[in-house]
Amino acid sequence: MAQYKRETLEGKTVRDLRQLVVKLGIVGYTKKPKDVIIDAIMAKHGVAGSISTAAMVSDSGLSGVEATFQSSITKPDLAKRDRLSTTIQVSCGASTGRFPVTGRSVAEVGEFLREVLNVDKLSSGLINGKEVPADYILKAGDNLEFLKPAGKKG
Amino acid sequence: MNIVIIGLGGIGSILCERIARYIKYSGDPGAKILLVDGDSYEPKNYERQDFTRMGNKAEVKAADMKMQFSSLDVGSFPSFVNETNTGHIIKEGSIVFMCVDNHPTRRLVSYYCKQLNDIILISGGNELTDGNVQIYVRKSGVDITPDLCSYHPEIETPDDKHPEEMTCEELAISEPQLYFTNLTVATFMCQAFYNVVIKQQCEKSEIYFDMLQMAARAQTRIVKSK
Repeated sequence: MAQYKRETLEGKTVRDLRQLVVKLGIVGYTKKPKDVIIDAIMAKHGVAGSISTAAMVSDSGLSGVEATFQSSITKPDLAKRDRLSTTIQVSCGASTGRFPVTGRSVAEVGEFLREVLNVDKLSSGLINGKEVPADYILKAGDNLEFLKPAGKKG
Repeated sequence: MNIVIIGLGGIGSILCERIARYIKYSGDPGAKILLVDGDSYEPKNYERQDFTRMGNKAEVKAADMKMQFSSLDVGSFPSFVNETNTGHIIKEGSIVFMCVDNHPTRRLVSYYCKQLNDIILISGGNELTDGNVQIYVRKSGVDITPDLCSYHPEIETPDDKHPEEMTCEELAISEPQLYFTNLTVATFMCQAFYNVVIKQQCEKSEIYFDMLQMAARAQTRIVKSK
């Protein structure tokens, strides 16, 4: 099965991407914006690459709420509904936010959101409440939680 | 209503009076409350813990509460919970608040509760400025929410010691804690009690909070099948 990197897909035209989703048998995306089509391809045929947006968020040291806002304004051309569909709810302890990490692996997201969400290095990831391997690729509709250790003292 | 409060340090000494007040004036005035702790109050505890005199924590708090809430049935068990005495402390149908400062005791009590048919276990813990509350509900021999170890390997395989395994020197060493963090854990444990026991709602089974972020989040968890 063919696999694609996000960087490769982002270099293609919308027309090329629409032809590609048809070729890959992904239905319902031929009239969607470029980012949504890329997310759909990444969800089924993606391989891990670098995280540009998440890295930017992490480097800037923004809070979860600010980071979500940041990710939204990087895509001002998309309707709100589509912007939301490309982000995933990621939580750790009391921290939570929506991030544009569709098509990324759980391990990558944990690394890049470590400071924003205070993710412990040994935390395992749950997708929709179920444990998944670190190389699991996130797809639209997933809800990712990194387990935070219980408080010890009292 | 049979209530057991294990641990009467920073969290437990605050929690027990709030629960007693609610029980006496709004809940079940015929309820029994058992306070459990093998440790003693010392002057260094005044910074975070509510008590009126030195002595065993369970006995001192039981005496304080009998004075404050005269009609309530308050008992004391002046020992740490261990494998030998757990069955004497926790009975079928009990509502157990666990406010201890070590994971081995959390694991021991969680394992014991898993052997019972009907139990509600509300466990709280904290670090300096954040913490969590876990809610373990078991009805008719079935887990309604996950036990304390299910999503917490650090409780399943603790790296700390049970207080009875610690030397006097180890017991004397206490890491810094904040009164407000203990207070927040106690408050969320009261919230859990109200939702699970009074309102009979137990959809959420874990609450996290972070005082520096001024944030809290409740999480629903799936009971893992064996």
